[in-house]
Amino acid sequence: MKKVLLMGQANVGKSALFNRLAGARVTESNYPGTTVDFAKGRMRLNHEDVEIIDVPGTFSLEPKDKAEEVAVRMLEQEKDALVVCIIDSSKIERGLYLALEIMEKGYPVVVALNMWDVAKNGNVKINAPKLEQILGVPVVPTVATRGEGLKELVLRIENATSASIEEVMEKVGGKGGTFN
Amino acid sequence: MELSTDQRWDLVERISKQTVEVGKYKATLKDALADLTVRPAIGIPFAIAVIYGFWTFFCEFAGTLFTDGFFVKIFDGYWLPWLQNVFAGAPTWVFNVFVGDPLATNCFEAFGVLSSGLFLAIGVVLPAIVAFYLIFAILEDVGYMPRLAVLVDGLLHKIGLHGYAVVPTMLSLGCNVPGVTACRPLDTRKQRFLAIALLSVFVPCGAQIGIMQGMIPGLIGWVFLALVIGYFAVGWVLNKIVPGESPEILMDVPPYQAPTARNVWTKLWTRVWRFLKVAVPFVLLGCLIVNVLYMTGAMDAIASALSPVITGVFGLPEETASAMVAGFLRKDLAVGTIGMLAAGGMTITLFQVFTAVVLLSIYFPCLATFALMIKELNWKQTLGALATLIVVVFVFGAILHLIGSSGIGSSAWVPLE
Repeated sequence: MKKVLLMGQANVGKSALFNRLAGARVTESNYPGTTVDFAKGRMRLNHEDVEIIDVPGTFSLEPKDKAEEVAVRMLEQEKDALVVCIIDSSKIERGLYLALEIMEKGYPVVVALNMWDVAKNGNVKINAPKLEQILGVPVVPTVATRGEGLKELVLRIENATSASIEEVMEKVGGKGGTFN
Repeated sequence: MELSTDQRWDLVERISKQTVEVGKYKATLKDALADLTVRPAIGIPFAIAVIYGFWTFFCEFAGTLFTDGFFVKIFDGYWLPWLQNVFAGAPTWVFNVFVGDPLATNCFEAFGVLSSGLFLAIGVVLPAIVAFYLIFAILEDVGYMPRLAVLVDGLLHKIGLHGYAVVPTMLSLGCNVPGVTACRPLDTRKQRFLAIALLSVFVPCGAQIGIMQGMIPGLIGWVFLALVIGYFAVGWVLNKIVPGESPEILMDVPPYQAPTARNVWTKLWTRVWRFLKVAVPFVLLGCLIVNVLYMTGAMDAIASALSPVITGVFGLPEETASAMVAGFLRKDLAVGTIGMLAAGGMTITLFQVFTAVVLLSIYFPCLATFALMIKELNWKQTLGALATLIVVVFVFGAILHLIGSSGIGSSAWVPLE
């Protein structure tokens, strides 16, 4: 069976998304570190059952504590999995860091720009189509706690692809930056 | 292709430069609140108010409204007479084990598996669990927990813990089992050991608190005081002798959020269901074991074997041995057993009840918690935690015995019912 991993940093709404997608009841809370072990559920995707896994939050793929170790081990074990990378839209940079790290390992990825409402209220404007074009993977704004954007996310999971980091670098290279 | 950390951050910056526009941020009332509740001058009184409100709700909702107002009437008025009736023709030993004392007029004195056992689990503990998890779920969803962590960070660092340890500790007030797993985000082995050892020894679970609240409302404050002193005193010592580091952890403090009814309800239901599934059978099993030990006379043998410790060191009546046996399985049952023993004629002073309840809290984590500790800690650490609690229980018991021998609280204790 195909597997979908929900990955992201702590407190970005992975469990909320998982509960919505899998109709499950894992604990959601408003603090980092609520999920310390993974939970599995099922969802229908393109007329077939897929396994969906709620992975503990991890800042990067270099684990710092036991919950993060679970997350990284999970990713390493599921070589054929597809990863939904969940990003807190109001803190997009750090989320992108983890997303890139996962993409570098060659996993097909879909990016969920979660907490879209929080970013909007904080006056953070994200050009999602542009981001999608740069990353070369689907990017979908969502509000998991209210279920917004989830239909589109599910539809787009089917077009998850592994993207090449070289292309990403090419697309943003040169322009708009002073880099060493 | 894999990038280095610097290259990756570089790329992130380039991408976000082209896709993200950060406008002017206007602070809202929510931000003002978020800020004020982590400042000690306002945050600490606020935290005290939150905890006081929590406690008041817990007592009123669980104790007064549901247990006294509803379950006591149902269990004593209908359930017990019905049981006595149904089991009337059963052999004496069956009646004694499942219904208990045939002359009992309430479920507290009866001591049967289906009378007292079920009453404790459903009538007293269940409302307490519901009340606790309802408030807790709201606090979690609002985002108050990490702020509490910030407030107590300085204090907890004195005993080698990080402020985050307040999350597993608070969770343990519901049940120690999820509390132990919630220690995983703590950084080092030392911190995880300290947090798990301290919570399993000193944090009473919601079931136990529910029973204490119903049985010894006048003493419960003292019990908490003794446990808090123990938590910090032992934490301070452990921090000195356990090797390892207690580094800073960077923790996000998320913005406040309105809790959603759906999530609060789901969480409440999952946790209460877990309680019903795991705890209720254990309470009944514990009650059964204690009854069988009594009937076969084994309990008397255990009591006299333990007497040098229980009476000699702790200064407690020998009969409380049965509570200690029950406590290996469930703490709520253990505390309830003290009440039932007193209702059944054991003479015990007020101070002895206090001592017994404090010692029951610390002498062994319940079986479920212990099983999980073995899984979460390595063998050496589990043995370390056991050694800690053995030392602690003797030191505590002896100190309390000493205080008690001054004659404080020497009036006889009569259980409420």
